[in-house]
Amino acid sequence: MSVPWTRQVAPVVAVAAVLAAVPLVVGDSPYQMRIATLMLVLACYAVAFNLLFGHTNQLFLCVGALASLGGYLSVILVRDLKLASPAALGLATVAAAATGGFLSYVSVRRGFGVLFVGIVTLAVSLIVHNLLLGLRDLTNGETGIVTRGLGMGLGDHPLRAYYVLLAVVVASLAAYRWLFGSRHGAALHALSEDEVSAELSGIDVTRYKVACATGASALVGLVGALYADLNGFISPSVYAVGHVDIPVLVALLLGGMRTLLGPVVGAALFSVVDELVRPFGQLTVLAYGVLLVALFLLFRQGVVPVVQSALGRRVSALRAPSSRTAAKEEVAGGTEAGR
Amino acid sequence: MGVVLDGLVLGLQLALLSVGVVFVYGLGGVLNLAHGQVAVAGGLVAALLLQAKVNPVLSGLGGVLAAGLVALLLDRTLLQPAYRRRGEERLLLALILTLGTSFALDGFFTFRYPNVALSLRLPAPSVEVAGITVRTASLAVGALSLVTFGLLLVFLKGTRLGKAIRCIIQNEAGAWLCGVDVDRARTVTLFLSGVLAGVAALGQGFFSYLGPDMGPEFTILALIVAVVGGVRSLTGTFLASLLLGMVNAALSYWVGTYLTWIALLAVAVATLLVRPEGLLAYWP
Repeated sequence: MSVPWTRQVAPVVAVAAVLAAVPLVVGDSPYQMRIATLMLVLACYAVAFNLLFGHTNQLFLCVGALASLGGYLSVILVRDLKLASPAALGLATVAAAATGGFLSYVSVRRGFGVLFVGIVTLAVSLIVHNLLLGLRDLTNGETGIVTRGLGMGLGDHPLRAYYVLLAVVVASLAAYRWLFGSRHGAALHALSEDEVSAELSGIDVTRYKVACATGASALVGLVGALYADLNGFISPSVYAVGHVDIPVLVALLLGGMRTLLGPVVGAALFSVVDELVRPFGQLTVLAYGVLLVALFLLFRQGVVPVVQSALGRRVSALRAPSSRTAAKEEVAGGTEAGR
Repeated sequence: MGVVLDGLVLGLQLALLSVGVVFVYGLGGVLNLAHGQVAVAGGLVAALLLQAKVNPVLSGLGGVLAAGLVALLLDRTLLQPAYRRRGEERLLLALILTLGTSFALDGFFTFRYPNVALSLRLPAPSVEVAGITVRTASLAVGALSLVTFGLLLVFLKGTRLGKAIRCIIQNEAGAWLCGVDVDRARTVTLFLSGVLAGVAALGQGFFSYLGPDMGPEFTILALIVAVVGGVRSLTGTFLASLLLGMVNAALSYWVGTYLTWIALLAVAVATLLVRPEGLLAYWP
C-alpha cells in the first residue's frame, strides 16, 4: 500500500533472476540439476507451510500426505482413465485443495488448538500412508509406480522441469506478495497475533483460515503432482512425514517464518545441509532432529529476519507482512517485533 | 479365545505405553512425541546388556531404568524452556522439541545399532491353561504389566508424592499454592513415564522383538490410545487401551495389518471430531 509498487515486486523479481541463473552454473551436471530442482520443490512446500503454520497457526503435519494425494491422483488418472496430463494435474490440485480446506474447516469449527490440528493432521498423514501401502491394485504398494510416460515428461527434461518448478515458486511468491500487500494481509497479520481479537474486530477468522489452507493445499497438491512427474517414480515413502513434513518444517524455521523469502532461503540452506550429511545414511534423520530442536530453541527467527536487521532498514522492504505496511496500520504497535 | 487373550495382553501393553503419555500431558502440559523412542532406548539397553552376558533379570531392570533416565534427561534439559511458558505456547514448543528429539533418537538408534534387537525367549513357548493353549509370552507380559500397574497405583494412592502428583493434574496453580513442589513432581512423572515405557519395551521383546526403528510406531500407538481414552482418569486410558488392544488383535487376525492401522487411526480422528473435550482437553 504505502510501499511503492515497484519495491514490492523487486524481491520477487530478484529471486526469480537469481534462481533462473542457477542452471547456467550447474546445468552440466544432472545430479546438481536434480538437487536444485528438489530444492525448488521444497521451497514450494515451505511457502505453503509458511501460510499455514506461520500466518494462520495451523500446524498441518500432512504436507507430505497432500502432496502424495496430488502425485498419486495425477498419475492414476492418466494411467487408468487415460486423462490428458494437464487435466489430471488440475484435478489432483483441486483434490488436494479440497482435502486441505476440509481439514482446516473441521479444525476451525471444532475449535482445535495448534496441538489438536497437529495430531489430527498427523493421523491423517498416517492413514493416507497406510492407504497407499494397502491399496495395492491402485498404488502398487511399497514398490511404487514408475511415472515415466504418465505425465508431461518432466523426468526426461531436467532443464524444463527446473523452469516449470521455478515458475511455480515465483508465481506463489508473487501471490504471497500480493496477498500481504492487500487489505487481506492486514487481516492475516491481526489473525496470527490474536485470533479472538481479530474476530472481535470484524475479521472472519474461519474464512481466512480455511481460504489459506485451501490455497496452500492446492500449491502442495500441484507440486506433489509435478514432483511425481519429474522424479520418474513415486512410492509411499517419498512422500512420508520424515521425507516431506520434517524437511519443510526445518527449512521454514531455518529461513524464517512469516517472511517472503524465508521459505526459499530456508529450502536452499536445507538442501545444502542435506547434501552434506547424505553420505552418512541414517544420520540424516538425526541431523534433521537436531536441527529442528536447535532452530526452535535458539534461532526461532530464521536467517532472513536476522540478515535483514543486519543489513539495516534499506532491505526492510523485502519482508512480506512487513514493518512498513503493517507498522503504519497497527494502532497499538508492538506486533512488529513479532514472535 | 486365543484372540481375546492376545487382545487383552496387547491392551495391557498399550496401557503401559500410553499411561506415560497421558501422565506427562496431564501434569506437565507437554505432549511427548519422543515417548516411543524412550521405550526403544530402554529396549536397546536391555538387549545390549543381554549381549554382554548379563543376567536376564538384571538386563531387564537395567533397560527399564535406562528408559526412565532418558526421560529424566529429557525433562531436565530440553523441556525446561517449555516449562517456562504457559498454555498453548508451552504445548507448541514442547511438541516441536520432542518431535525433533524423536527424529534425533531415531536416527541415532538406526545408525548406531542397526542390528541390535531385543528378543526375550522363555523356556517353554506355550502352556495349557484350563484347556486352551496359551503363549507363555502372553502370560509373562500380562503378569509384568499387572505388577507394574499395581506398583504405580500404590505409589499414586499411598505416598505423599503420589498424592501431590494427582493434585497437580487437577490444578497446577492450586497445588503450587498449597506448597507442592511442581517442578520436582514433573521430573518424577517424566521418570515414571520412561519406566513404564521401558516395561512396555520388555513386553514387546517377549512378544516378538523390538528393533531400533520401532520408536515412531510406539509413539503413534500411545497417542492414539491417549486420544481415544478421552477421560480425566487413568482408568479411562486403561479401558481405552484394553478396548483398542482387543480391536487391534481381532482386526489383525481377520483383515491384516495395514487396515488395522487405518482403523485405529480413524478411531482416534473420529474421537477427536466427536469428543474433542476428551482426555487431551484437560489442559485449558
